[in-house]
Amino acid sequence: MIEELEIILETASKILQKHVNHGLRQNIISENTDILNLWNDIEQNGLPKISVKEKFGGYEIPFFSILPLIKIINNYGTPLPLSETILSNYILSESDINPPNGVVTFATDTKNIKIEKNIISGDILSVPYLNLSKNLLIIHEFKNVKQAILIDEINGEIILKKNFLAEPRYDIKVTNLNIAEIKPVKNNIDFNFLGAILRSTQMIGAMEKVLDLSINYCSERKQFGRALSKFQAIQHQIADMAVELSASSAALSAITDLDLRDKNYNDIAISKIRAGAAAGKLIAISHQVHGAIGFTKEYELSYFTKNLNSWRNDFGNEAFWEDFLGKRFLENNNKNLWEYLT
Amino acid sequence: MSKFNFPFIKETNELLNLRKQVRGFIISSLNNNEFTPSPDAWVFSADPNFSKKLGSKGWLGMSFPKEYGGHERTALERYVVTEELLSSGAPVAAHWIADRQSGSQILRYGNEKQKLSIIPRITAGECFFAIGMSEPDSGSDLASVKTKATKTKNGWKLDGRKIWSTGAHLAHYMIVLARTSPASDKNRHEGLSQFLVDLSLPNVKITGIPDMTGQKHFNETLFDNVELSDDTLLGEEGKGWKQVVGELALERSGPERFLSHFTLLDSFINEFRNSLLYSGSKIVGKLISEIQTLRRMSFSVASMLQNGESPETQAAFVKELGNKFEKMMIETLREFSNIIPLYEWPNQLQNLFEDATLRIPSNSLRGGTTEIMKGIIARQLGLR
Repeated sequence: MIEELEIILETASKILQKHVNHGLRQNIISENTDILNLWNDIEQNGLPKISVKEKFGGYEIPFFSILPLIKIINNYGTPLPLSETILSNYILSESDINPPNGVVTFATDTKNIKIEKNIISGDILSVPYLNLSKNLLIIHEFKNVKQAILIDEINGEIILKKNFLAEPRYDIKVTNLNIAEIKPVKNNIDFNFLGAILRSTQMIGAMEKVLDLSINYCSERKQFGRALSKFQAIQHQIADMAVELSASSAALSAITDLDLRDKNYNDIAISKIRAGAAAGKLIAISHQVHGAIGFTKEYELSYFTKNLNSWRNDFGNEAFWEDFLGKRFLENNNKNLWEYLT
Repeated sequence: MSKFNFPFIKETNELLNLRKQVRGFIISSLNNNEFTPSPDAWVFSADPNFSKKLGSKGWLGMSFPKEYGGHERTALERYVVTEELLSSGAPVAAHWIADRQSGSQILRYGNEKQKLSIIPRITAGECFFAIGMSEPDSGSDLASVKTKATKTKNGWKLDGRKIWSTGAHLAHYMIVLARTSPASDKNRHEGLSQFLVDLSLPNVKITGIPDMTGQKHFNETLFDNVELSDDTLLGEEGKGWKQVVGELALERSGPERFLSHFTLLDSFINEFRNSLLYSGSKIVGKLISEIQTLRRMSFSVASMLQNGESPETQAAFVKELGNKFEKMMIETLREFSNIIPLYEWPNQLQNLFEDATLRIPSNSLRGGTTEIMKGIIARQLGLR
């Protein structure tokens, strides 16, 4: 399986290297043939179904093992919801629903959802890339059981479209929409936790790029007769970025080994806290060392920093998970802190 | 280039068992009033008897070869033992430097006689070391040391001054970095050598320097024409720089870089558990997340050391992040006094807090300053 994953990682890098450039990121619409070509290449190589069961045509590599792929996808700044599709398809497949072809996006949040028979109404919030997708996964509790709900012909009233993010996000009000499939989610699948892992991993992929961009820019850009990288003030700021990034990677590294049945959610909380905090620092420092050029749309830094800004808020920000982690220790445990930590 | 990985290392059941053994020993020592938990205990709290007990338990020189009295256990096992000792604030200062870096340095570079005469005593908790790097005019700029060793008929003559030598007043030896030939114009790192100096020799004068907390652990160590025998040279003449850099990697990556004030945090949480549940679960969560991340990184570096790698840069990451965490922790506790005023904290907790507040500026100075850590990292990123 490790060999199989390595081949997939190599293939993914080749595809993304070939297709992704900053021009593509500025024209994320389904009519863009370059976007279509990229998706076709991705789909032909089976990437969207990497964690889908073999019986549904997937590679059946566990979701926790494919985090390196998620990192690569976001290190390239791929302007398609491939990471979201991989997670959606994994959850569908685990819920015994055959994942559809094409982009499958998800609702990070919902409000006022009503389900009757196979009809759904309510507010579906902060959906990434709805413009590229007919397929949408919603996780919602219905009849006291968490359900995976697949919608394959989404339409409704767009109540808010968020354009300030690097990727398009939509809030949408749906009324009496047909559900394609609805099935209970397997016990050990928790959408919020999986989403937090996904976003943490995406952030690390993007932060690696942000650090590389900063190093390269400061090494090339000259002011006062020397490269910016020769100024100690700049060196120390970039060192801070590297420290934050390494801490996030170290925090995430435990997850590849994780079995959700252990209910060991602390590691997930820690990953999201650490990556979110690091992202805040990397956004600030990378823009600071880039100067005005980083603040332009034509230069690629902002694509990554805008994504970091939204991902650190998705599926719980640092404060949410810090509160979760703190309460979990303070409430449910008679152990002292050291016993708890070890 | 920009990525420094800290691969995840899982704690095995064997390690957990070792952890429990050490914890049991600490609890019984506490019950017998053998020590009072103290902050920064690895710097300030020395008890040769306690060190000897650890030696007899087999918890010093753990990874050293058996032929020199060591136990041939792994760096990960040593990591677990040090974590338990640090988190309980046990009095480990006497042996800390010998066990952490000097012993390994002698095993790596020393000759047979040096190893046979010193390592078994370190392992037994009977031989303590001080660090001989900084000088009055050489702090962060270590290559500028002026202490000089000159060849004589029978060995060497040592002249110079070392400063900030923590624990030198209790130590038996100091590994002294000295100049044995002038620096070349091109390379300041040439011409340095390390010496294994017996601090009881004539003409060695150790004077205490009270630090800003009023405690004495710092010293100035004067070497006034000290006669050294030939076999005091540690390693190779002129290779002192390379040797000292390796020694620093051992010094920077350990859990003392983030657990120095753990006793304060532990007492704080025990005292205010209920109030924290209502108004401070977020800050507790933040501290937990940072400690666990640091533990993972430091444990990962221990495994790199075990595999014979040279994680100098990774060690700088741990130190830098650990120093920041400790400062943040004390600030966090300080802000909590907005909810329960400091004067309502129990006396012992107030004392711990005030101690920590006073001591914390030193955490990002000792073992290499923040500026040096960032410089090391920047170099590895290709910026220097």
